[in-house]
Amino acid sequence: MDSLNSSEPPVFADVQDAARQLQGWARRTPLLENTILNDTLGFRLIVKPECLQRTGSFKFRGAFNKISRIPEDMRAGGVVAFSSGNHAQGVAAAASLMGMKSTIIMPSDAPKAKIANTKALGGTVVLYDRKTESREEIGERLQKEQGAVLVKPYDEPLIIAGQGTIGLEISEQVAEIDANPDAVIVPAGGGGLISGTALAISGTLACPVYSAEPEAYDDHKRSLEAGSRLPVPDGAESICDALLAPIPGELTFSLNSRLLAGGLSVSDDEVLMAMKTAMLSLKIVVEPGGAVALASALTQKIDLRGKIVVVVCSGGNADPEMLSRALSI
Amino acid sequence: MIDINDINKARELLAGQVLHTPTILSPALSNLTGAEVYLKLENQQVTGSFKVRGSYVRMSSLSEAERGAGVIAASAGNHAQGVGYHAQRLGIPAAIYMPANTPFTKVARTEALGATVILEGESVAESRILAMQAAEAEGKVFIHPYDDPHVIAGQGTATAELLEDVPDLDVIVVPIGGGGLAAGCCIAAAAHNPALEVVGAQADAYPSMYQAFKGEPPHGRGATIADGIAVKEPGEMTTPILKAHMNGVAVVTEADIERAVQVFVDVQRLIVEGSGAVPLALMLAERERFKGRKVGLMVSGGNIDSRLLSSVLMRGLVRDGRLAKLRITLIDMPGALAAVAGIIGDKGGNIVDVLHQRMFRDVPVKEADVDIAIETIDADHVREIMAALEAAGFGTRLLSDMR
Repeated sequence: MDSLNSSEPPVFADVQDAARQLQGWARRTPLLENTILNDTLGFRLIVKPECLQRTGSFKFRGAFNKISRIPEDMRAGGVVAFSSGNHAQGVAAAASLMGMKSTIIMPSDAPKAKIANTKALGGTVVLYDRKTESREEIGERLQKEQGAVLVKPYDEPLIIAGQGTIGLEISEQVAEIDANPDAVIVPAGGGGLISGTALAISGTLACPVYSAEPEAYDDHKRSLEAGSRLPVPDGAESICDALLAPIPGELTFSLNSRLLAGGLSVSDDEVLMAMKTAMLSLKIVVEPGGAVALASALTQKIDLRGKIVVVVCSGGNADPEMLSRALSI
Repeated sequence: MIDINDINKARELLAGQVLHTPTILSPALSNLTGAEVYLKLENQQVTGSFKVRGSYVRMSSLSEAERGAGVIAASAGNHAQGVGYHAQRLGIPAAIYMPANTPFTKVARTEALGATVILEGESVAESRILAMQAAEAEGKVFIHPYDDPHVIAGQGTATAELLEDVPDLDVIVVPIGGGGLAAGCCIAAAAHNPALEVVGAQADAYPSMYQAFKGEPPHGRGATIADGIAVKEPGEMTTPILKAHMNGVAVVTEADIERAVQVFVDVQRLIVEGSGAVPLALMLAERERFKGRKVGLMVSGGNIDSRLLSSVLMRGLVRDGRLAKLRITLIDMPGALAAVAGIIGDKGGNIVDVLHQRMFRDVPVKEADVDIAIETIDADHVREIMAALEAAGFGTRLLSDMR
């Protein structure tokens, strides 16, 4: 990719390039499986736990791939991002590692813990009132006045390529354990993680890749079926706070519509059950949005009998209350 | 004598039978402790603990006749799983003795592996005596959880893997129950680098090895969250190995262990059982000892009961001041409760539960107590809200257990 702000969809080589950029900075998360669970399920379930990534989610990968390429003479202006969740933490951590300032614009009613976590990673948090202020205006002002670089959460080539390094790692790691996956399932919100991962898989394993979403936010599933981007209906609700993008991204959907085999969706209860299985059988903490692909596999939204499936558990930043709720389901 | 050759042989035997579990660097725990922290994830091992290593090495050493006769073990926990898992795979009949009061889920988990569970005895120690007697009477091999050279060599492979993955550690912290994992760790560490320190960690409810090091009689008793290492007597075979190699044994409190289980969830997104969290508990309790050093923590297992885990997490919220319960004295007049709610709301507290009860409490008839549960940011925030209520004339007492 030539430009920091290209708007062309990334290609396979961009993901390989991102992997080199992340080398030594992002953690190569292991593959996990539980053979006793596999026996019970009747298929082989392999988990890629990005909850073990820096900042507890995959978001660090894309953020670092973008931020670390900002030229020296532009670094003084820092970066700016809109997010109240995992993207905020990924951006703050990546900027701090590069010795850059980061300003994260969050709604004033964002959870206190997320504000605190972002600050702890070195981010400056600017709160805005959802009703009276526009976050875009605040962001533009920061870009203009400080020369800050905007880091978008998903609809950006370097972000997509960075998240795609997960797909490259999966391809390398399944080879190390002599497994040949029949399917890969990845959570979808804006579509950055899944488009990058599918891009990487298309150049390596070439097995079917499915998106996983909450039932109420199944915009990828419906958009894939329709062949064009469809929004989430007004008033939709889900416990998967990390996946509440209103419509698939433009750039991400241009890749996903070409690369994905289909879309799967799960109920909130199925998500909670998957979180419980993750804790008790896989010994990892997965947040609701991070558990949708696992939930899709456990409930066999596609027939997996006798097969090998890789699921991405994309993040682990759940509140203790939510974990307790999952444990008691 | 067991030496590194036995551990190397055990590694060859175990290839393909158990996992070479991942070792991960933890930047988050490193920041928290000021050390460079590596985690050996035996909670990711088959059956959720390291025990499958030793049990396989022991059972694969049996003769055809011994295999045919079957094996006996005593355990309600990880050792039962370890023996059951491999016995089934090797086609060896296994009988596992558990105390009569063992929870159904533990019985079911072991039976699911194909073992026969025999509920006899008041405690694990008593079940073990009954199991050894039965083995003698029935001509079966008793699979000891730690006092066995095969078992010790098998458990030592966990440390051998850790040192293969991170060769330049300064110190390894390992939990001690009977001492099998720790003895194997000592042998592997000494062979790798004699300068490498090995520190043992125990729960202060069961400090058997700590006392053995001090020449005191053991006095372990009571309930502990680290039930996997609740062993009353130090092992006969393991104790001399630990005394020869180990650079010290330390104990941690129940509160330290509970806190470490919570930190693993909050900071590392890993589920670790009480006994597996004891090494981190020690690091957090004795930071200076480990500061600036390259430390390997043996995360020995992840089998924690879901209700216990849930209560650790919720108690963690209370400890950290993110959930607080206040008892507030109201003058019984209209609007008092609304005023209290207003003050809490202005200070950014979120009321999640209100218990307003004036019929049955021992308070003057003109006053009423109200118990309010609130979500807060931290302990300072709780104190700020309490001060605001007091300033407005509402007597306020903290009912929850905040540090």
